[in-house]
Amino acid sequence: MKNFFLSLKTTVWTLLGLICVFFLGSYLMPAYRDVHGGMNDRLLFQWVEQVALDNPGETCWFFASLAGLVLLTINTIVCSIQAIKGKWTREDFLLRIAPQVVHLGFLCILLAHLLGAGWGYRVSGMLPVETYAKLPENRSIYLSDLRPLVDDRGGLKDWAAVVAIFENGKRVATGTLGPNTPLFYQGMGVYLKSFDLQERPVAFLMVNRDPGAIWALAGSVLFMIGIVIILVLKWKKA
Amino acid sequence: MEFILFILYPLALVRVRLIIPALAFHGTLIISSAVSYGRVPLIGTHDTLGFLAWSVGIVYLFFGWTRKRDLFSYVTVPLILVLLAGSALSPAMRGPLPPVLRTIWFELHVVLSFVSYALFAVGAVFGVLYLRHGRREDESGQYRNLLLGYALFSLAMIFGGIWAHLAWGTYWLWTPKELWTTIVWFSYSLYLHARLVRGWAGRPVAWMGIVGFFIVMFTYVGVGLLMKSSHEF
Repeated sequence: MKNFFLSLKTTVWTLLGLICVFFLGSYLMPAYRDVHGGMNDRLLFQWVEQVALDNPGETCWFFASLAGLVLLTINTIVCSIQAIKGKWTREDFLLRIAPQVVHLGFLCILLAHLLGAGWGYRVSGMLPVETYAKLPENRSIYLSDLRPLVDDRGGLKDWAAVVAIFENGKRVATGTLGPNTPLFYQGMGVYLKSFDLQERPVAFLMVNRDPGAIWALAGSVLFMIGIVIILVLKWKKA
Repeated sequence: MEFILFILYPLALVRVRLIIPALAFHGTLIISSAVSYGRVPLIGTHDTLGFLAWSVGIVYLFFGWTRKRDLFSYVTVPLILVLLAGSALSPAMRGPLPPVLRTIWFELHVVLSFVSYALFAVGAVFGVLYLRHGRREDESGQYRNLLLGYALFSLAMIFGGIWAHLAWGTYWLWTPKELWTTIVWFSYSLYLHARLVRGWAGRPVAWMGIVGFFIVMFTYVGVGLLMKSSHEF
């Protein structure tokens, strides 16, 4: 069994299998929009519990991809442990450690997805100007202003929403939201998704906490460090 | 002005280095578009296919600098012309960027994506050369292209994730486009691992590098046309 997890052939066949199930998923997602529509609106585990388990035929690709990723994770860990074992020399240190750094980065990114899928929260809703909304963790949000900026031709150039976050009744953060400009407070992000200025100005806000985000960033940095070392060493060799 | 490129690029069929005037002229056109639009000219099929053709030309020049006229040119130059034709037939999107695209993360994401696509394209050409001649230098040419392309593509995905996190509060969205992007990444991960497996190294792996480029092109063109995703602006 150990040999199975240690084998590069396992890696190759698992990757091939993942390509097939992702291909199937890309076909089933638009074909069954009602089933897959909620995947991005709530935590992934909530979607699994509330939707996916009730529709196993349409979401089989998702569970197959989970199984493939679990297998790939075990395979990666076992291969990396085996590669680290044994005698090291100064000459081959970088060449041996770099793939393991890449693997560690990949595992951190998978961990990020796991944490983001099951923990944290994601809430969204319409908030009129000069009103409050309750948030998790004894917090609330207040929208004080909403400003669209138009260009000379009357097209929408930019927009901004001024918000304040309160915690246990105290104002703890204020900021201006806009495109690509959320407000972060202690791991929680506030995003302006859209707005409506028809009668009373209303902002559609999303507030989320993704405990995996920092792991994804750390994993990405590790992955790139490892891949650049491999690139430099292998480029010359090739 | 773009029609001049259809005269300049085929000069590379005479000698690889004769692609330099085409690249210089094409680069000037891209820069002048950037100046006139006031943004990076990488929105829509017209801009991106043109930029991809230019990137393939740069990679072709780099890897073909010391080569004589051969199959490498006979495959790559027509590929550049096909990409240019696709660009010329697509409508150009002028004007400023939509607000959500006005960020350095978007620009890095797109530029690195297309440079990596160019490396994947030339890697596929090296795969064709290896299948035809069985020369080790073509296999290593494919490997170097695909390894560098894989690194840049991974970086492009990371920058895309950072941008998505700032714009939509998540670094990953479940859409067909993201699934296909991951398929591309898995395909080249598969190539890099399979190359180390006895029985897979050689011709099967060269084929993987070729098939990988078709997956890239489907992800870029096909998914956008056939499936809805977050990559529509």
